Amino acid sequence: MSIPANIYKMLEDIVGPEYISDKEYVLAAYRHAGPGGRGQQAGPGAIVLPGSTEEVQAIVKLCNKHNVKYAAIVSLFSVGRIGQPGMVFLNLQRMNRILEINETDRYAVIEPGVRHVQLKPELMKRGLNYPTASVGPGASVLANFITSGDHHMQHGASRVNRYLMATEWVMPNGEILKVGSLGNNAGWFCPDGPGPSLRGLIKGWNGWSGGFGIVTKIAIGLDVWKGPAVMPGEGHSPSYTVRMPPDKHKVYIFKFPTAEKLRDAMLEMGKAEIGNAVLKYFYATECSLTTTSANEFFEVWNSGLYQRELPLALWVYLATASPEEMQYEERVMWDIVKEMDGQPVDESIRKKYDDNIDHMFIIVSFLQRVLRLGGGWAGVKLGGDSVSHMFQVAGAIPEFLNEFIDKKMIIDAPNNWQIIPMEYGHLAHIEMLCFYDVTQPDHPNVMMPLMQRSAETDIKHGFHASTPMASNPAIGPLYSNFNLWVDKIKKAFEPVKEL
Amino acid sequence: MESLKDFLYTMNSCNQCGQCKWVLGPKMRGWKYAEVCPIHLRYGFDAYSGQGLINIAQEILEGRLRYEDGLIQLIYTCLTCGACDVNCKSIRDMEVLDTILALRAKCVEDGQGLTEHMQIARKIEKTHNIYGNPHDKRFNWLPEGKKLSDTSSVAYFAGCAAAYTHPEIAVNTLKILDAAGITYKVLGAEEYCCGAMLWRTGQTEAFKKAAEQNLAVLKKQGIKTLITSCAECYGTFRGGYPRFVDMDVEVLYISEVVTDAIKTGKIKFKKKQNLKVTYHDPCMLGRLSEKYVPWNGKIEAYGVHVPPKPWRRGTNGVYEAPREIIKAIPGVTLVEMVRNAENSFCCGAGGGVPAVLPEFAQWVAAERLDEAGSTGAAALVSACPFCQDSFTNALAANRNKMRYYDLTELVVKAL
Amino acid sequence: MVNPPDVNNTLKNCLNEILKPAQISDQPELIDKYSHDYSFQDKGSPSLVVFPGTKEEVQAIVRIAAETKTPLVPVSSGPPRFHGGTVPEKGGVIVDFSRMNKIRKINTPDRYAWIEPGVTFGELIPELKKQGLKLVAPLLPRANKSVVASRLEREPVIIPKYQYDFIDPLMTLEVVYGTGEEFRTGSASGPGTLETLKADKVNPWGPGSVDYFRFISGAQGTMGLVTWAITKVEVLPALQKLYFIPHKDLTVLTDIMNQLLRRRVVDECLALNNVDLAAMLASSWPDDFKKLKKDLSPWTLILCLAGYKRRPEERIAIMEKYLNEICADFKVKPVNTLPGGAGKEKEILELLSGPCPGETYWKLRYKGACHDIFFLSTLSRAAEFAAVMQKAAAKYRYPREDIGGYIQPMVQGRGCHSEFNLFCDETNQAELDEVKKLFADASEALLKNGAFFTRPYGTWADMVYSRYPEQVEALKKLKGIFDPHNILNPGKLCF
Repeated sequence: MSIPANIYKMLEDIVGPEYISDKEYVLAAYRHAGPGGRGQQAGPGAIVLPGSTEEVQAIVKLCNKHNVKYAAIVSLFSVGRIGQPGMVFLNLQRMNRILEINETDRYAVIEPGVRHVQLKPELMKRGLNYPTASVGPGASVLANFITSGDHHMQHGASRVNRYLMATEWVMPNGEILKVGSLGNNAGWFCPDGPGPSLRGLIKGWNGWSGGFGIVTKIAIGLDVWKGPAVMPGEGHSPSYTVRMPPDKHKVYIFKFPTAEKLRDAMLEMGKAEIGNAVLKYFYATECSLTTTSANEFFEVWNSGLYQRELPLALWVYLATASPEEMQYEERVMWDIVKEMDGQPVDESIRKKYDDNIDHMFIIVSFLQRVLRLGGGWAGVKLGGDSVSHMFQVAGAIPEFLNEFIDKKMIIDAPNNWQIIPMEYGHLAHIEMLCFYDVTQPDHPNVMMPLMQRSAETDIKHGFHASTPMASNPAIGPLYSNFNLWVDKIKKAFEPVKEL
Repeated sequence: MESLKDFLYTMNSCNQCGQCKWVLGPKMRGWKYAEVCPIHLRYGFDAYSGQGLINIAQEILEGRLRYEDGLIQLIYTCLTCGACDVNCKSIRDMEVLDTILALRAKCVEDGQGLTEHMQIARKIEKTHNIYGNPHDKRFNWLPEGKKLSDTSSVAYFAGCAAAYTHPEIAVNTLKILDAAGITYKVLGAEEYCCGAMLWRTGQTEAFKKAAEQNLAVLKKQGIKTLITSCAECYGTFRGGYPRFVDMDVEVLYISEVVTDAIKTGKIKFKKKQNLKVTYHDPCMLGRLSEKYVPWNGKIEAYGVHVPPKPWRRGTNGVYEAPREIIKAIPGVTLVEMVRNAENSFCCGAGGGVPAVLPEFAQWVAAERLDEAGSTGAAALVSACPFCQDSFTNALAANRNKMRYYDLTELVVKAL
Repeated sequence: MVNPPDVNNTLKNCLNEILKPAQISDQPELIDKYSHDYSFQDKGSPSLVVFPGTKEEVQAIVRIAAETKTPLVPVSSGPPRFHGGTVPEKGGVIVDFSRMNKIRKINTPDRYAWIEPGVTFGELIPELKKQGLKLVAPLLPRANKSVVASRLEREPVIIPKYQYDFIDPLMTLEVVYGTGEEFRTGSASGPGTLETLKADKVNPWGPGSVDYFRFISGAQGTMGLVTWAITKVEVLPALQKLYFIPHKDLTVLTDIMNQLLRRRVVDECLALNNVDLAAMLASSWPDDFKKLKKDLSPWTLILCLAGYKRRPEERIAIMEKYLNEICADFKVKPVNTLPGGAGKEKEILELLSGPCPGETYWKLRYKGACHDIFFLSTLSRAAEFAAVMQKAAAKYRYPREDIGGYIQPMVQGRGCHSEFNLFCDETNQAELDEVKKLFADASEALLKNGAFFTRPYGTWADMVYSRYPEQVEALKKLKGIFDPHNILNPGKLCF
């Protein structure tokens, strides 16, 4: 269903005729949910490409006035699921400026259309870096910062939540709120205050997925980049190499006899403050990221190498400012590994990182490879708490997973979970990935039941292994009745309906 | 050739990750020149992209989207440059470009092809060249008295562009072949258009006829090795013909001949050029030039292709040969553009677009020239007469002082 | 808003039903202690003081207050207090959390402490030390200062490398909102009850798409009463090495700090001017203070390198090399002896490791009172603001050489707390009046120049909020949700 002609005309007046369409064939790009959610969805009634905050604001006000639903998008992952008849999509990709890179005070100010593949190299040139969510190179940096945020490097940094600084936000009522220091003529460096922090409205563990106004500019905090100024990518698709100076960049992978030893090694590395990245990674996902086709994946996976070497393995990426520091970190690392009875995994697995550190670190160049195995990709847990608690949660995974494996509904990879510590082990994230095949008739019975069984297990044990995404009265009471508060917040900031 | 329904797996696999629009991580270099898809860069709507065209293809296939003028125009805005395809295939087992080509074939099959393209097809049928020029003038470029072999199994295939609009490329190619000491012939009156334009615009039946005709000639004349200096011809022989005919002729690009000759010492560059250049990889010589190997297998559970599919991911395009040549010329410095090799940004001449959207084609060329200019190069070198047309038109329109050289011209200047 | 006697009686009766007599007091002497502090805040008139011991009691107090529209002013730290945040503006009941002072848990493997609001720095630091842990603390907190209050008010800590954002190291908390309803933030939220929840409750974010803990932070108790919180703690270094870099040019020192912090070379990292450093170190007054003030450099950068459990010497050696390299770029040399205060090094290390020793808080030693002007900026602008402060002081004939100065980088150097201490004699009304004018004028000048008064106490609230109506509107919407009756510390901020 397209939008009424008068609304279309008013939108067209805001963005110009070149940047609006309600043609069915143009909208076709926004109604395919992709693997796991196959089939055509309703899609929006129109798409607009605003070019400025002012245009976004005018569109939001117009939609409010005429009771038109809208959603902001940039990258399209999962977009097919949110369209509704008569809805307007605002694709913010034209707002794609890097407004400032402050090298001294270490922040960058960006608009929504800036992609990782654009921002990252600009910062590398300046010796800077930022926590880069594992979402693929073409994803919007701003969207990642305000909606999700776990990444492989958070052991030596944090989740992106900590790096989100001041924001410019077009509130649901269409007014602009400058959150943090920006709202006080004090620049972009601080998200909180004055007084109670309105930053709390922008994002919690997750973001609002476009359901609560539109964030049009953000500043993000930057860390130091210890690699070369230019991404050292060579070769041709699909076998690129990215080699870093080996005296300052090294990847190790260790296996441990028990999950407890693995956990303790992770914690001790945190306490020793070594390692740019330390994580227990998904072993089947790793196999998927480092192979170039589904066939190649199964060649490797069916060899049993990964099942033998990686179920309880710790990836350690050391990145230092000098070779001496590298040697120091290596010595400490080995002290810990030996103390915990760890051993290096088969060298053929580790060696891949000499040529392709980007498989896992820097930008996760080939993330979408995980969707190659039949297209089904069920991520469960996705929550966070202490390292110890995350391992406690992992210990109960077989309780709900085995039935899916036994029924051959998912690939037999019971240890395909990751735990990534943050802030040198002060907290951690857990995620479990299950591969299933969307071409199989039973596929609708995989993702949702898996998520549900996982959540039930967590609730049964009192595990905080996920955070409720939306205001759901069924589970809200289990989480401090948060649904009541989020509903109140939404209501308070919603536009006042005109009678 | 596969029909649209053969690409359902691709259509169902797309998760709209955007990799068809952006360079991959290892190739990231900065804010500028990070986008690989010309139509997405120009028009912004996601329908204008590999992903969008896949979605459109699926809806047309399933009868959910009706043909209308704007839709057909959108489908034919795509330059079929394949940047989306190789970037996608770095990470997924999908056939983005083949889906787009199959979509165009379906349009033609359903009577929705564009008049401009059909006119070209008629010219090809009638005069065996894309311009509608008299066939008997196809070899007007051949220097008078030029002696050629009658018996060689090696032939030079000039192609329509070199034959009619860029004779200097054909002439220079012969000089290079002579310098390399290669004995060769030309196909003479039996050289017909390779059919690239027919293939890329979805005129499958006409293309099949062209392929059959040319292959029959090659067989008849005993040709085992075909040398071209046109990227379109090269990519079509290697990537298009095997879809319809048993293409058992080796196809070489002139740059490959030159690099071999440099290695054997037959070609030595003597004349210094004092030039800073950047090289543009033509789509059909680079990422789309890998030989097509038919695959008629099954896609089983978890995406396993049985038997294993020989993927064309742009891995083995002709990337190094032109660069080696340029670097071997004394005084010439090569500087790279951000989007190079399999990430090369289209010149604007692909997919029959100049015939229907000349302004857009020029815009694409200007975007590429902007990138070329950003390298600080004084000249742009490429290896395709269609790229040449696109770039020289845009240079003139924008009063851009950058010079353009076909690779053969640069080689001959340095001999 | 001061309650008439009959309301007070009703209130007291109600509270008597839920609290033990020892938990309620209307003793004038006691009440008077809560009615004022060292700030310029006008004296308040609370009518009662209550000392809850449990969350349930806090909830009951809030419900009664909501019913009777009685202001509640939370206090968790002991005196002296400096910023007016706990001085009642509209009367009401003081909710003193000092008796909710349990250290509920100290977790060594995952490095956190679960504490009630009455737990002080003086109590927590030694307890942690026993377990090989260290509390990252503000500079010289009062021994009776509530750790929870400090975290909630986003006080800067002296080891910026452990701070990943401005609210770090506060993790989660339990809060009683102005409706009497309780809420737990982040991974403390659930699933289930506190008794059944197995999580360590250290994930600060959420639940869901809202960061609830941020609304409570910087709120001076106006958004809810916190009944416990979890804070990060760190490992106690096995080895520490102290360095000093004296310099008259603050810019040089902020640049050095920036470089050190971006490479995470140092643990403790702060700059003090001669006045503040002398006030902290002086062992006898006024002679030692005067001598130190004279001998110390205008600014001294204090840095501490640390080595942990494994190979501490090796770590310190590498960090020392980086320190020297960075300093060499600025043509300065870090030294292990305090220039102008030789012999005080061990004392400084102790001062950096615990609460303020002695009976008199260091800020009161010089003239008996102190008014702090503090705000945030980027590190690169700190020196610029110091100049603005100096200029303002000159206007009011406040001796420039008497202004205390403290520069505390935050969030790994991406932000900076600047603080200027105006020491004055409270008994000298003329001096006090001048300082008051200077305080207002300098604050205004700093604000105009882009200083971010992120914790707007007292008169700063009007100064800040009058300029940004959009933020006020948004904050009032939140206030309407979490404290719909405006009973929680009314009159503060923009409420």
